[in-house]
Amino acid sequence: MRLAERGIPFVVAIVAIAVGYGLSAGLDGYFVYLGMSAVVAGISLLGLGVVTGSAGMISLCQLTFGAVGAWTVSALNEAQAPGGFLTWLVLGGLAAGVVGVLVGLPALRLRGINLAVVTLGLAAAADLALVQLQFPGVSAGISVERPEAFSDDRSYFQLAVVVLVLCCLAVYFLRRGRWGSAWQAVAFSERGTAAAGTSVRTSKLTAFAVSATLGGISGGLLTGQVGIAFPASFTAIQSLALYVLAIMSGAHLIDMAVFGAVLWVGVPELLKRWGIPQDWGFVVFGVLGVQALASGGNLGTTVRQVWYRRSKKEPAKLDLAAKTADIESKAPGPPVLTVRGLSVSFGHVAALSSVDISVPEHGVLGVIGPNGAGKSTLVDAISGFLPNAEGAVELGGRPLTGSPSNRARAGLRRTFQQDRVPPGLTVGAYLKFLARRRLTADEIGDALDFFGCPAARTPLSQVDVGARRLVEVVGHLLARPRVLLLDEPAAGLPHEEHVAFGERLRQVPARFGVSVLLIEHDLDLVRSVCDTITVLDFGRVLASGPQAEVLADPAVLKAYMGETEML
Amino acid sequence: MNALRIAGLTVTRGAGPVIRDVDLTLEPGRITALVGPNGAGKTSLLEAVSGVVPAASGTVHIGADEITKQSRVARARRGLAHIEQGRAVFGGLTVLENLMLTARTRARADELFEAFPELEKRRDSPAALLSGGEQQMVVLARAFADRPSFLLIDEMSLGLAPVVFTRLLPMVTRFAEEGAAILLVEQFTHLALGVASDALVVSSGRVTYAGPAQGLLDSPGTLHAAYLGES
Amino acid sequence: MLQGALAGLAAGGLYAVLAVCLTLMSRLVRVVNFAQSATGMFGCYVAVFLSVDLGLPMWLATVAGIVLGGLLSALLGWIVSTWLAEADTGTRSAVTVAVLLLLISLSFILFGNKPQPFHPILDGPAVTVGGVVISQVTVVTVALAVLVAVASRIVLSRTPAGVQLRALSERPTTAELLGIPAKRLSVAVWAVTGVVSTLVISIVAPSQSNDATSLAMLVVPAAAAALLGGFRRLDLAVAGGLGLGLIQGAAAQVDGLSVVRYFLPFAVIVALLLWSQRKEVWDAAR
Repeated sequence: MRLAERGIPFVVAIVAIAVGYGLSAGLDGYFVYLGMSAVVAGISLLGLGVVTGSAGMISLCQLTFGAVGAWTVSALNEAQAPGGFLTWLVLGGLAAGVVGVLVGLPALRLRGINLAVVTLGLAAAADLALVQLQFPGVSAGISVERPEAFSDDRSYFQLAVVVLVLCCLAVYFLRRGRWGSAWQAVAFSERGTAAAGTSVRTSKLTAFAVSATLGGISGGLLTGQVGIAFPASFTAIQSLALYVLAIMSGAHLIDMAVFGAVLWVGVPELLKRWGIPQDWGFVVFGVLGVQALASGGNLGTTVRQVWYRRSKKEPAKLDLAAKTADIESKAPGPPVLTVRGLSVSFGHVAALSSVDISVPEHGVLGVIGPNGAGKSTLVDAISGFLPNAEGAVELGGRPLTGSPSNRARAGLRRTFQQDRVPPGLTVGAYLKFLARRRLTADEIGDALDFFGCPAARTPLSQVDVGARRLVEVVGHLLARPRVLLLDEPAAGLPHEEHVAFGERLRQVPARFGVSVLLIEHDLDLVRSVCDTITVLDFGRVLASGPQAEVLADPAVLKAYMGETEML
Repeated sequence: MNALRIAGLTVTRGAGPVIRDVDLTLEPGRITALVGPNGAGKTSLLEAVSGVVPAASGTVHIGADEITKQSRVARARRGLAHIEQGRAVFGGLTVLENLMLTARTRARADELFEAFPELEKRRDSPAALLSGGEQQMVVLARAFADRPSFLLIDEMSLGLAPVVFTRLLPMVTRFAEEGAAILLVEQFTHLALGVASDALVVSSGRVTYAGPAQGLLDSPGTLHAAYLGES
Repeated sequence: MLQGALAGLAAGGLYAVLAVCLTLMSRLVRVVNFAQSATGMFGCYVAVFLSVDLGLPMWLATVAGIVLGGLLSALLGWIVSTWLAEADTGTRSAVTVAVLLLLISLSFILFGNKPQPFHPILDGPAVTVGGVVISQVTVVTVALAVLVAVASRIVLSRTPAGVQLRALSERPTTAELLGIPAKRLSVAVWAVTGVVSTLVISIVAPSQSNDATSLAMLVVPAAAAALLGGFRRLDLAVAGGLGLGLIQGAAAQVDGLSVVRYFLPFAVIVALLLWSQRKEVWDAAR
């Protein structure tokens, strides 16, 4: 089964190359030229698709990266550097990638718009500069040498198709690997990504670098086609148009990137045949781009909906019915996570005041309290999402500081009350992303079975919200952290399933070696799972100690006035 | 004065319904307490009535006019006020500016300062610098300012010391006495039931009790059962 | 060098006005309007067309152009407020990128690729200070920048509409629940910035490169200036615009730096971003 899955992209690749060969041999010379332009645009669009697929990232200088690639190839050609055209092409791509990283660095700490401003600035500047400067070798009339085997137009087209197919394969496998999962996660929730121990900035940078590299390869390929690079091929307006086309066609889907390339070449051709000025092509792109953004869809998703005729499938739910094998539980030991004097204020509102928390090793600490008592703020502060929190946090005797992703990597994981699970991934891919280590299929299967979660192959978009949040818990457990902070994990589950969930939670320290801090509203669940309980009220610790003591304390009962019947 | 009538209202979020088939009528001058466990769908119900989220099915009427498809601004103009969870003050605006948004005249603002004397002292202070209780007072005063006919209040007590909350609650009662219809969502069930004439219990997205508030106060077993989803 | 720098001040005033517009839009309607100068360009081109091809008196054509620029911007604002009201800043700004593309191409179709025959509205020197000549255009644009910034400040802090706008920009949903007419106010902001940007481009266009692309790309130095204020502070946006103009003017005097000059706005953008983002910031909504 897995082999067939692995094999399909290669089969598609071979078919594509064969089609390319057929076209290069069978088509009229003019169409070969058009096809060449489409391939070049396709590689560029593929790159843009990687970046736009990470929401909020707007890249408006894709063709400038093409110019960098073209520049590199021309310079290496003029200097007659060893390696030949193909080596120069790769180097051109890498050079563009490096420029991409440099340009992206300042803009990627804060999300979104800043990258658009930076890239537009670069595109506008390069536009003007390229007109003044000339590409290497142009003044001497040196044309870029194609590789010997592909020196005539038809075979060069064949080469271009091969390069396109290789790029598509590369993007396909990148998307299925760690980088691709990180891109999807960053697009959906930056906080969720940081909580998984992945650096948000690095993820965005890799996306941008890959996109720039593809832009560079596209530019180098174009130079090989025309022999001498011209600034007119790399204008800012064309970069804008390419971006709009990427949005409109949904270029983050590989097939739509190719389709977009066909539009890029086809629309101006049609206009030419109908005697309409070429500029209308960009007007059409602009209008369709606005329409796509306003309706929140794009050609890619529309086509897919028609093609697959989305079945109203019942979302996959949890199955906690099975009884679990009992496992020897360990006695709770000395504290593994200690928090002292934690205080957080928002303006003049004190959300937490001098809170002390202690999670015993191999134990489960429950944190309860009325709404607004500061429980989620507590988790945010411990996991590093509130940099101006005061107080000391120690994990395993050592101080725990730094950004959320640092703390996650140090062994403190947390889940979220809101759904921060990226729907674009499968259950298995998401687990691997959270775990940050190699997982065997058995490990994954066992963990999923234990919690009654859907199979690893299920896409998360087809999983019920409550089940999704449990998958998040499983993923963090598989990372084998020292402590896991759970923020109302049972919130999406029907009440009947709380008992079954509680049983499993009880076994987590023994089964996974993880100590747990559990925030929950369902006091039955808390009673069945937690050894010790801390009660928060109005940002302060009201009571703390063994479960029986705390739940009998009259002060605690008073704080819970509305839920007295529950105790 | 008109009543607000909710019929068969269902709200979905993502994959499934968060709350379904709610029937509820808010009569002028009466307070309805809406209670239930967390995640039961109470906030979503309020959001669907005020237009923050669209309703998947069902209708909302004010008198004879259907408002189910109207924009939030249009519904607010009809006298429907929604006090959101979590002290929705405009932190960058002063207390006076916050109040003037709905009070519109200095005279009305002064009346409000009389009713909330603690705010008078802080009238030129940016709302972000107020304490939690003061901020909630600003929110209430701002809502009272243009005398809404229907008031939806979502967990006014959130993050407030009980003593502060018990001081704010009589204002809600007074407001009902002046003719407003109030839907009060609260986690302090007893306090809410104490001021309300009617009660609605929602659990796991369904209404499990709809009737007089006294009924729940008289029999804690009914409340307990309703919380657990048995109707 | 000083004369060169002061010659750059006219452009600096232009950048400052556009930067104020960008800052207002970012704060009040949550959009980075990449089409800010393109709508102004379009309005100006229509004005030229009306006066040159249709023979309208210049003042009338200019006013018509400014009104059109405002209407175009208002139309864009209406589209964004209607269909993208709940969308994030990135998506809303992406729409303006598409419109930027659209307007440049449309102007090529309607008005051709050659430079437009602008008649200067203002011409000649205004004052001479210590041997250095300052043109009328410079005085007017700098004054306009300061005027718009100050007027915005006053409107936002003293008028009821201004308070409503500030409330709307801080918590859009809560503001709507209070009955604040969100859409009307947003479209008004788009319209006003549209009018202002068309006005300032009308004044400056005759004395600088005024092909469609150059005018539309004025949004780049404007964004660099707005970044100095973090897209929030009007005073820094004005300072940034004027400063950038001065530096560009001075750099133009040095022969060898001509290509580097093109990268000046870009370099400023990069430097400002690097400096302002030393701490990581969390997107609380996601």
